[in-house]
Amino acid sequence: MAGSVAAVALALPAAASAHGLGGKTDLAIPTWLFSWAAAIVLVASFAALAALWPKPALQEPHRRRLFAIPAVIDPLAALLGVALFALVVYAGFAGNQGEPVANLATIFVYVHFWVGVAVLSVLLGDLFHSFSPWLAVGRAARWVAQQRGLSRRPVLAYPEWLGCWPAVIGLAGFAWLELAYTQKSDPSVVAALAVGYATAQLLGMALFGMQTWSRRGDAFGLYFSLLSRLSVWEREGRVVYLRRPLSGAPRMPLMAGSVALLCVSIGSTSFDGFSNGSVWAGVSPDLSDAFSSLGAGSSTAHQWAATVGLTVAVALVASFYWLGVRGMQTVGESHRADELAGRFAHTLIPIAFAYALAHYFSLLAFQGQAAGYLVSNPLGRAHTDLLGTASFRIDYGFISSNRIWYVQVAALLCGHVAGLVLAHDRALALYHRAHDAARSQYWMLVVMVGFTSLGLWLLSAVST
Amino acid sequence: MSPAKRWAVLAVVIVAAVVAFVIVQPGGTSKKSKPTSPSAPTAAPPTAAPTPPPVTTVTVVRGKPAGGVTVINAKKGRRVRFIVRSDVADEIHVHGYDLMKDVAAGGSVNFDFPAKIDGGFDVELEKHGEQIATLKVQP
Repeated sequence: MAGSVAAVALALPAAASAHGLGGKTDLAIPTWLFSWAAAIVLVASFAALAALWPKPALQEPHRRRLFAIPAVIDPLAALLGVALFALVVYAGFAGNQGEPVANLATIFVYVHFWVGVAVLSVLLGDLFHSFSPWLAVGRAARWVAQQRGLSRRPVLAYPEWLGCWPAVIGLAGFAWLELAYTQKSDPSVVAALAVGYATAQLLGMALFGMQTWSRRGDAFGLYFSLLSRLSVWEREGRVVYLRRPLSGAPRMPLMAGSVALLCVSIGSTSFDGFSNGSVWAGVSPDLSDAFSSLGAGSSTAHQWAATVGLTVAVALVASFYWLGVRGMQTVGESHRADELAGRFAHTLIPIAFAYALAHYFSLLAFQGQAAGYLVSNPLGRAHTDLLGTASFRIDYGFISSNRIWYVQVAALLCGHVAGLVLAHDRALALYHRAHDAARSQYWMLVVMVGFTSLGLWLLSAVST
Repeated sequence: MSPAKRWAVLAVVIVAAVVAFVIVQPGGTSKKSKPTSPSAPTAAPPTAAPTPPPVTTVTVVRGKPAGGVTVINAKKGRRVRFIVRSDVADEIHVHGYDLMKDVAAGGSVNFDFPAKIDGGFDVELEKHGEQIATLKVQP
């Protein structure tokens, strides 16, 4: 690790070492596993169609009160969030610039934050809401204003037609950063963008009000809160409830851009998988050459090619969902297409999580171990060893490729079943005639089978 | 459909899935890699080691891999063998295994090591930041 602190900009092409962080990439799932999974998807889907319950069971949370969180926990969580943010930014600017895997900033943001918090949100509920650094500052500012008796009315009224599009743009921006931008592994770039994002959030909260803005303009907050709707834990105020699994999803707040947010998530993870495959390996040099011939330098041309790929992936995902919605429109009761798109949007949440888990599980399992040496050496400097673990090395043999494949396939299968279950339940609530509900489900089945098949194909096409 | 029938359908699907999985899964070849005990019958043929894997060559021209990123295939438990010929001097880094070897301009360097970890690993020219090969170790 001591060696190459050379100031060489790591201009890695999009398909390079696992998200620019070195280490281990996944092998393609073997054909037998792919065939088995595809067959089970179909079998399970038809069985589900035949056997699922006749009355909606998930539209209400059916929750049970568990306990109240002590008042001291939230301020502590907020403090921890802010401290961690400050450390990450400091490491990004002041730490090792030449080796992204030695710097807390890059590893934390791309692995522990982006993937780790997503997984924790599904397992434990909306944790990020308590730890979010910009929300913490916002709450502190609000508390100070209250003490001073200052007015709490927001400066500007948020234009409702905008919905959550600012968050959609934020999420798309992060996806672009992770998948297309050549400087993505540069710690100071990551730190600068983190500061910029936090500033934008604080500004938004100051102008439009904390609640209003954070539910519409905070890409990460909204993404994690959507994922947390799959979990059984619900929090209201300081009280924690246990609810039926998935029952948080039907109550997802719907506004302009809600469908787009989920399509960006699924599309960007799809492109991540696709960009490691052989089809992209064949297409991207030609795309890059096309941009080079327009005068772009080599790494800029790579960026443009990846941007095109990412946009196409998101558009494909959106149009596939849209096709399903148009199909459902043919089923009685003349619902409008955009109404249907909204009413079934939450069925995409399990798909988004399944895709994220399938593609990023090994990143979390391997690069996540970097926390072992980063707690002792967050800046990646030689001779720093705060807690004695600076010589810890990532164990790449800790989970075999077989186990990783099983996790990936299991994630997609569970996401598929969860999506079908949610769609079935919503159809029962939406359509008055059971016959119409059943017919609409054939369309959602097509959409779900399509997404799961795409997910499986992406896993099997990794650099074949 | 009554709740009992619903559970029955679920049970049938799960059992069918598990049975299909066990049938379709390739046999436990990986479980047979344990070394034979020293007291094997003397009539056993002299230690016929499996034929060594072919040696892949990675050629680097002007700092880039010729013919695109080369794929080096290997199987876990066997040896990984490849040669890198480069017209530029650099340090070759095999990620995951964390092996580093220098190559001189116009020279070549051999790699020969046991494939202990399965997965995909990048082989990179450190100073140029250029990926020249992908090592794929199948489980």
